[in-house]
Amino acid sequence: MNPSRRTLARALIAASGLALAGAPALAQGAAVKVGVIGPFSGPFAHYGALFKAGVEAYVASQGGKLAGKDIEFIYRDTGGPNPGQTKTLVQELIVKDKVDYLGGFVFTPNALAVAPLIQQSRTPTVVFNAATSAITEKSEYFLRTSYTLWQVTVPLAQWAAQQNMKKVVTAVTDYGPGIDAEAAFKSEFVKQGGTVVESIRMPIATTDFGPFVQRIKASGAQAVYTFLPGGPPNLGFVKAYNENGLAKAGVQFLGTAETDEFDLQKFGDSALGLTTAFHYSGAHDSPENRKFVDALKKRDPAAVANYASVGAWDGMYVIHKMIEATDGRKDGAKALAAARTLQWESPRGPVRIDAKTRHITQNVYLRKVERAGGQLVNKEQQSFGPQTDFGLGK
Amino acid sequence: MNTLFNILIDGLAYGMVLFVIAVGLSVTLGLMRFVNLSHGAFAMVGGYCAAWLTREAQWSFWLAVPLAIAATALLGALLEALVLRHLYRRKELDQVLFTIGLSFVLIATTNAIAGPQVQLITLPPLLAGSVDLGFRTLPAQRLLVIGAGLAVAAAAAWTVTRTRFGVWLRAAVDHSGTAAALGIPIRSVQCASFAAGAALAGFGGILGAELMPLEPYYALKYLVLVLVVVAVGGMGSIAGSLVAAVLLGTIETASRYLASGWGSLFFFVAMAALLAWRPNGLLKR
Amino acid sequence: MNSPMTSTVSTAAKAPAQPVPAQAVRCAPPWRAPLLLLIAGLAACALFPDQLGLITRIFIAGLFVLSLDLVVGVAGLATLGHAALFGLGAYAAGIFALQVHADPLLGLGVGSAAGALTALVSGAFLLRYQGFTFLMLTVAVSQIVLSLVQKARDWTGGDDGLSGFAMAPLLGRFEFDLEGRVGAGYALAVLVLMFYAAQRLVQSPFGLAVRGIHENRARMAALGTPVFRRLWLLYTVAGALAGAAGALSAQTNAVVGTDSLSFALSAEALVMLILGGAGQLTGALVGATVFTLLHHTAASINPYHWLFVVGGLLMLVVFVPPTRAWAWLRRRAGGLQ
Repeated sequence: MNPSRRTLARALIAASGLALAGAPALAQGAAVKVGVIGPFSGPFAHYGALFKAGVEAYVASQGGKLAGKDIEFIYRDTGGPNPGQTKTLVQELIVKDKVDYLGGFVFTPNALAVAPLIQQSRTPTVVFNAATSAITEKSEYFLRTSYTLWQVTVPLAQWAAQQNMKKVVTAVTDYGPGIDAEAAFKSEFVKQGGTVVESIRMPIATTDFGPFVQRIKASGAQAVYTFLPGGPPNLGFVKAYNENGLAKAGVQFLGTAETDEFDLQKFGDSALGLTTAFHYSGAHDSPENRKFVDALKKRDPAAVANYASVGAWDGMYVIHKMIEATDGRKDGAKALAAARTLQWESPRGPVRIDAKTRHITQNVYLRKVERAGGQLVNKEQQSFGPQTDFGLGK
Repeated sequence: MNTLFNILIDGLAYGMVLFVIAVGLSVTLGLMRFVNLSHGAFAMVGGYCAAWLTREAQWSFWLAVPLAIAATALLGALLEALVLRHLYRRKELDQVLFTIGLSFVLIATTNAIAGPQVQLITLPPLLAGSVDLGFRTLPAQRLLVIGAGLAVAAAAAWTVTRTRFGVWLRAAVDHSGTAAALGIPIRSVQCASFAAGAALAGFGGILGAELMPLEPYYALKYLVLVLVVVAVGGMGSIAGSLVAAVLLGTIETASRYLASGWGSLFFFVAMAALLAWRPNGLLKR
Repeated sequence: MNSPMTSTVSTAAKAPAQPVPAQAVRCAPPWRAPLLLLIAGLAACALFPDQLGLITRIFIAGLFVLSLDLVVGVAGLATLGHAALFGLGAYAAGIFALQVHADPLLGLGVGSAAGALTALVSGAFLLRYQGFTFLMLTVAVSQIVLSLVQKARDWTGGDDGLSGFAMAPLLGRFEFDLEGRVGAGYALAVLVLMFYAAQRLVQSPFGLAVRGIHENRARMAALGTPVFRRLWLLYTVAGALAGAAGALSAQTNAVVGTDSLSFALSAEALVMLILGGAGQLTGALVGATVFTLLHHTAASINPYHWLFVVGGLLMLVVFVPPTRAWAWLRRRAGGLQ
């Protein structure tokens, strides 16, 4: 027993030493290093897998090199919202691995935590998901290719008012993007003449949404506007909405990311007719989107074309253009200057990077869940046109 | 008034799920004084088996559930007989460490086999719909949960008080040395109770799949709740677990309805108060 | 006094070469272990200048687990709520830096005081209970603290975390740099000083009294020791150390999240402690180092499957207890008796 413990201790120390020392430095080749931060374990691990699929599919679709340079991806797992650990990982990526660009970020606290690091090291960082408006204000090296709640909610509130809805209840998760969502809907809906009868905030750890759905029913509203983080909370809420008979009780569903393609098939027919306003649908009918979906499936057949994978894909496009502009060398200021002028046709529609806010300006669509070809899809009903991030400058 | 009914029904359902999962741990703790922090993993395994059987193998719910429970019982029995019983004499901290390690391994295995996403159990049409009780529409599954919980409580009470196994169990909990001296097969009692506890946990995992989604971290995520019920109800007390589970479940549900911004504060305040008042369990002195 | 005995024994056994002096037990001087720690820490910083962020995390984890060792290993009170003390120290230091003054040492004091105060207040209630009841009550207290912090969004940022504060230069001169040199040195200095203090505490009569309470509470009470007061004081001191660790974490990361109050953190710390061996203070540091390195390495190799490695290691360690292994190692090395 004891000898094996000693051997074990020795082995561990040796392994740790090796791990710290790291692999011998690669020859100073022309490889551009991109660090991707996201959850690769835990209940939100699907984001990590989708980011990986999106970025690698993009590079593959460009022939394996971007602007003639090899790309080396370094993936780091944050688990969940874990700002301390994220900061350590990013510090290591910047100081030890010397990455040229950073991408990823699902959770707001993680993105906020690294703002001083990227500012000080002048590392352009593309946010593939985290949706709180304030993030891009924390450092001028943040770019974002996902969305913000203000961006997708303001047009939805306007549409709801146009549908003659007068009383709406909001139900959001109690964290940054959720609070943004509530503020955005309230401000726009009230401006359009409606009333928000109740604002329900649901703790982030909630798994049983029954009580909240009952409160929604009791509020007497005509519709419920909701936002929840992707994954188990989305699934739980929509199920609770269906199982507690809210649609039959006449409370319409006004959502954003809840009919995410990742979990959509799990709802079955009970999801038919759910209305959402969002910036990307996997069923978007365009040659760019078809190319994206094909490239994604080729890379990883299990990957789903949704807002996370398209956020990563478009994020890589931005990084590609930045590499082009700096000829593969690390020059944060030059890369950023180039990124601010970008305008292109993405799988989601025509987009551009706003020069002032560094956030993506994109079309927001109104969608309803329908069945097409045996699968449930978010069918785009109308486009609200290009929307900016209304949440900035508040 | 409506809210009150809602709270009572939802609270009862939630409490029943907690009870069914916790009762096995309570008995194991009371019987073997063995701190088994991998108990949550049994609930997870039961749920995953049922999910796989109903979804992938397309079995009927009514067949899949008993089989999943049996599989969990088997896993429990094997673990107990081969590995865990060597730890009965060890210090509590060692037991904690080992069972946490075991939970980690089970979580990683589940992740490797089934992936990180939430597993859904396909309900039969009878249970998939909603029941309109007049003042509210309730998912039919909740009624099953409440009924099943009561059935488990009744069955457990009957087993403990009216069967020979129950007599052996109570004797072994009171004093295993004397019980062994009297010829009671302690090892069998321990193994059987552990397996039964695991089976019940698996059943609880299946029943609670709507309230507590099945994903790999399930094993540790809900462990705290289960430990709370066991502590408040008293180790080894089935009736205590039932009362504690329903009481705490109702308080938690009430706080979700009435004060959701405070999170689980009232649950833990209630728990601390109850435990401080009755440190050995609600129904014990 | 010894002569008649040795004369009777010597016929049967070998007599000792010289009379054994009264002070037979040689204790290591109290500054030896902290000095070794300082040297090891500086060596790590010098050898791996790219990974100072990770090394700083290890120092902070070491201090946290050290504080846990005082409660679990020395006093024998198994707790799963220690993260409350760490997290409140972190939040106090963060809020202090954000609202009042960004000086690191003042913030460290504030964080440490917050940890001590929380321990003082919660200990008054908790220490009346023992065993499993005590364990579950510590969980309750820590979850209550977490709920309160999540609710007080305006002060703590809620689930988004507290960020946006930048620390002033340490001692007025050393700016917290990107590579983390100042952070690592700062954390190491605090760790070494507090380790020394903890050692002195544990080896003092007070520490011996607490160890006595761990071994046999009834007997100590019978001897007249005010059991509750001793444990309360120890718990408060441990709270001060945990709060300091939290403050260091807040200051070196410039961000505080609700994960610093989570049950998972408490459980992880307990695992680190048992891994390294509870009761000897050095075990806490070893456990923290090994577990953090293991987690980091395994997670970067394969984020999906690192739990296998960690879980397997934990199960293995239970069958090969570290304390016996260290004792065996020490005997082999022929050092301390």
